[in-house]
Amino acid sequence: MASVRLRGIQKRYGDNLVIKGIDLDVEDGQFVVFVGPSGCGKSTLLRMIAGLEDISAGTLELGGRPCNDVDPARRGIAMVFQSYALYPHMTVAENMGFALKLAKVPKTEIAERVRRAAAILQIEHLLERKPKALSGGQRQRVAIGRAIVRKPEVFLFDEPLSNLDAALRAQTRVELAHLHRELGSTMIYVTHDQVEAMTLGQKIVVFNGGHIEQAGTPLELYERPANRFVAGFLGSPRMNFVPATLAGEEGATAAVRLPDGSIAEVAADVGRVRAGAALTLGIRPEHLRLANAAESGIAATVALVEYLGDVVLVHLQVAGVDGTLAAKVNAGSAVPAVGSRVGLRFDAGHAYLFDDAGLAFAPSRTREAVHAGLQ
Amino acid sequence: MNSRSNLGWTLVGAICAIVLAALWAAPLLWALSTALRPELETVSADFHWLPQTWTLDAFAKTLGAGNLVRWLFNSALVALAVTVITMAISLMAAYAFSQLRFRGKGLLFALAMLAFLLPFEALLVPLFRTMNQLGMINSYAGIVLPQVVSPVVIYVFKQFFDGIPADFREAATMDGAGPLRVLWSVYLPISGNIVWAMAIVTFIAAWNNFLWPFIIVTSNDMMTVPLGLTQTYDAFGVRYAQLMAAALLGALPVALAYVVFQKKVTQGFLAASGLKG
Repeated sequence: MASVRLRGIQKRYGDNLVIKGIDLDVEDGQFVVFVGPSGCGKSTLLRMIAGLEDISAGTLELGGRPCNDVDPARRGIAMVFQSYALYPHMTVAENMGFALKLAKVPKTEIAERVRRAAAILQIEHLLERKPKALSGGQRQRVAIGRAIVRKPEVFLFDEPLSNLDAALRAQTRVELAHLHRELGSTMIYVTHDQVEAMTLGQKIVVFNGGHIEQAGTPLELYERPANRFVAGFLGSPRMNFVPATLAGEEGATAAVRLPDGSIAEVAADVGRVRAGAALTLGIRPEHLRLANAAESGIAATVALVEYLGDVVLVHLQVAGVDGTLAAKVNAGSAVPAVGSRVGLRFDAGHAYLFDDAGLAFAPSRTREAVHAGLQ
Repeated sequence: MNSRSNLGWTLVGAICAIVLAALWAAPLLWALSTALRPELETVSADFHWLPQTWTLDAFAKTLGAGNLVRWLFNSALVALAVTVITMAISLMAAYAFSQLRFRGKGLLFALAMLAFLLPFEALLVPLFRTMNQLGMINSYAGIVLPQVVSPVVIYVFKQFFDGIPADFREAATMDGAGPLRVLWSVYLPISGNIVWAMAIVTFIAAWNNFLWPFIIVTSNDMMTVPLGLTQTYDAFGVRYAQLMAAALLGALPVALAYVVFQKKVTQGFLAASGLKG
């Protein structure tokens, strides 16, 4: 096991700076998830840690050892590829033992280590098969087995579940978490799926445009997003955003004017801006409540209703808001018909405010105590 | 109605196939017919499809009096050496052009492909002078070396390697394999069919090559089969029966090789063309 330390890491392709100076610490034995949209640089950074891409600037340390110029095979790292990259002409056992064979490990030891890894992953019965005779899930296990056999200090996973169907993905997620507990190794996992990030990561690092937007525990990022990007990226469906202007501030509560002219209160410390400033109000779908149109609240029209089994997603059109807002409603509760008019309400303590640069205002200290709702 | 029209098209197709097969087989059968006649009958004014007198004399004389066994050995050695070295050079060059990152790669590849534009005939004189200076006239190395760089084979391998996901190379690199090991242990086995196809094509081309051996070889003992065939004449002119017998005997090993490896060649070309075999 080893820690991973990145300082000022940059990657440049010609004049194009794609990784813009990353500082990050991954503790020994930690499960860290790199998450972000396609092209944000998360896979490139993973490949730089693996040694598959050169580091243009900055320092990479693995277990306290500078590794910028160390060969990939000598970094004590194993990687599971998105495509699994199992050699098609080799059996499962040969695939898993290939690295050890190259390292000239005695055959008996290779066989023993392959057998042990296969036992952990419950793939002993597959050892003599070729990859083409395996299902997607089995290939995925073999790819992990190939990594385990090398006894690496750091495991790297590059979107390893993206080729699996939804059910298998959910199952494998649980198995990966179990594997991490069992091996206790440092693991870095790249995904664009925020559900994987939230469920697997002890620490999540959100990437965007070649830099880190925010790093922290899943709950920290979900409850206290540093900016609008992180707030919108984590959570499914994504957070609703409504343009607003600061109407005033009273104690721990900011009052904002919404496009329909109504005033909403949010428990946020907006001291750094003045009244009249353009802001964005953020509310997660699970925190939007539907009320009768006659009651106070944001006036909205139901555009679409999606029944997901345990919950119902209600998509709503609101004057002055691009696209629709989403509200999550329990399946048992009354669901308005498409086209009907409703009022939207939310708790001040469950709403967020972002300035015009997208940075979040810190929640006020009394946030949890405020339940002002709409006036 | 529909089945009648289908039957009609099947018949037309079958007739076309038979005609094409006959056109392809006619010279071969004529060569066989000639080789089975007495020498005198081959220059007779009377035309007959089949020999009037059947004899294996031409084959016996070709095998007995001539140097055919030696020429066959030379052809086999040269074709094998050309094939092995061409495959080794082309695989390494194609792997480098396809998978490695180095300065000037594009320019080097363009230069390699420019060799397409140069007809071999244009290189004959400088190549001969070089071989002469190296003392390689009438030597196996002299026959083999100018034939071992094939831009076509490099191009085909590169295209094939380009289609192999880079994840394989990267996984092998992380497993501790260097470029040569990645090529040998991963890319070569994955490319098995296309390598076989190119090897067979190269072998046949080297076996049949006439021009370069004709320039570089003067000794009868160093001749390959195509070159040896030009020796089947005497003071009275070309001995057609012996010529055809030697040609058939010379082509036999290649034909047999093709029959044995036909499946691999077909799979290789399907793989190269991106179709599933």
